[in-house]
Amino acid sequence: MNPLILTIILMTVFLGTMIVMASSHWLMIWIGFEMNLLAIIPILMKKYNPRAMEASTKYFLTQATASMLLMMAIIINLMHSGQWTITKVFNPTASIIMTLALAMKLGLTPFHFWVPEVTQGISLTSGLILLTWQKLAPMSILYQISPSINLNILLTMAVLSILVGGWGGLNQTQLRKIMAYSSIAHMGWMAAILVYNPTLTMLNMLIYIMMTLTMFMLFIHSSSTTTLSLSHTWNKAPLITTLILITLLSMGGLPPLSGFMPKWMIIQELTKNSSIILPTLMAIMALLNLYFYMRLTYSTSLTMFPSTNNMKMKWQFETKQITLLPPLIIASSLLLPLTPMLSILD
Amino acid sequence: MMTYIVFILSVIFVIGFVGFSSKPSPIYGGLVLIVSGGVGCGIIMNFGGSFLGLMVFLIYLGGMLVVFGYTTAMATEQYPEVWVSNATVMGVFLLGLLMEVMLVLYVLKSEEVGVVFKFSSVGDWAIYDIGNSGVFSEEIMGVAALYSYGAWVVVVTGWSLLVGVLVILEVTRGD
Repeated sequence: MNPLILTIILMTVFLGTMIVMASSHWLMIWIGFEMNLLAIIPILMKKYNPRAMEASTKYFLTQATASMLLMMAIIINLMHSGQWTITKVFNPTASIIMTLALAMKLGLTPFHFWVPEVTQGISLTSGLILLTWQKLAPMSILYQISPSINLNILLTMAVLSILVGGWGGLNQTQLRKIMAYSSIAHMGWMAAILVYNPTLTMLNMLIYIMMTLTMFMLFIHSSSTTTLSLSHTWNKAPLITTLILITLLSMGGLPPLSGFMPKWMIIQELTKNSSIILPTLMAIMALLNLYFYMRLTYSTSLTMFPSTNNMKMKWQFETKQITLLPPLIIASSLLLPLTPMLSILD
Repeated sequence: MMTYIVFILSVIFVIGFVGFSSKPSPIYGGLVLIVSGGVGCGIIMNFGGSFLGLMVFLIYLGGMLVVFGYTTAMATEQYPEVWVSNATVMGVFLLGLLMEVMLVLYVLKSEEVGVVFKFSSVGDWAIYDIGNSGVFSEEIMGVAALYSYGAWVVVVTGWSLLVGVLVILEVTRGD
């Protein structure tokens, strides 16, 4: 793509999310969402094969439907409260429709069907932007309307997302689909704690973004999109193999890595609010996630995966340069001792 | 009839939208959009927005739809689809018409309609007086406010339109 056009489009993606996060008028928030959606379509369609075009079309259709639902909820809110500020949604119908619209944008169950297909059809870098940056805007709106969200709907969607994210990822060998199902499960964890303590949602979002960023950077470095291709990295860059092991275990939520921090805090907060069965169920379902991360580490770092003899040397184009990998590795594995610093938040 | 003119116009508006949502060829979609645009202009003018109605006719119908009509005429096929040529299009159109007729009967028969929000049967569509407007027309004040207090909105929408054009050109560029 022409560098000037690419700059303008990336700037507009950034501007769209910033407008969503910084506005207090519902119409500007909707405008920010639409700007974000419009500008990310050419980024998803960077390669002009039919798979990428189909993925972009699916993404556009689901996000546009979600924006329309959001607009309807905004208008119902306007009718019942007579004002456009974002502080509190005054009508239960508007609140429910808004929650469903934002869940569609995030990829929570039962609106998760687009996430694996869109993530699989696009390149690794586009998938990175899709799974990290695009989650910021809807989550910030959910944070702001969190006092008036219907608890039953949100918790149902959260638990179902963790289930679907765990079970859906079990049969996958394509790395982008694995990351998509991991995103669905993490969004479920974030949505579960939203009504009780929204600060933990933001903490989970921060740690999730760092870990997903790290994983995608490692995949881009080894130019691998399948498990088989990833299992050859021991030959070319053994350090990358070790880092994949550490980051995947952190994503699975194992102490003493930093992926444990959000899960621990969420379970603690849920039990403080006298719900015991729900966090138990969520923790058990997170084991499904851990299983397919462990399978990736087993085939990549812990064993020599079976392949033909002349494939033992990893064949790839020249190594892509990855940005910021050392700080990302540190952030996604060693942050657990900083947990007492959470007391400075709300 | 003049007291219920907004109700009648909005029914024609919805029927027009059903007409092009049932997906005949884009030429006929544009034709129905002209009718819907004109009727929409009538609805706005009944609420006192003469300037905005003029905007609809000039910019939307006279600018955007004309360009749309020319581009569709360049890209159209030899036998474009009408509402009666394809059973699916006909079926969807009739289904939409049926639902609209049922809704209109529901609104007319019952005193109050409370589907998602409440509005009383036809009374809410009648124009009596639009509140204490005072001396100034609210609509012109709104347009003035857009360019003074709402300068940021103009900047954002202008930027969105520019990026929209760039995105469309980038997407349709192909290889």
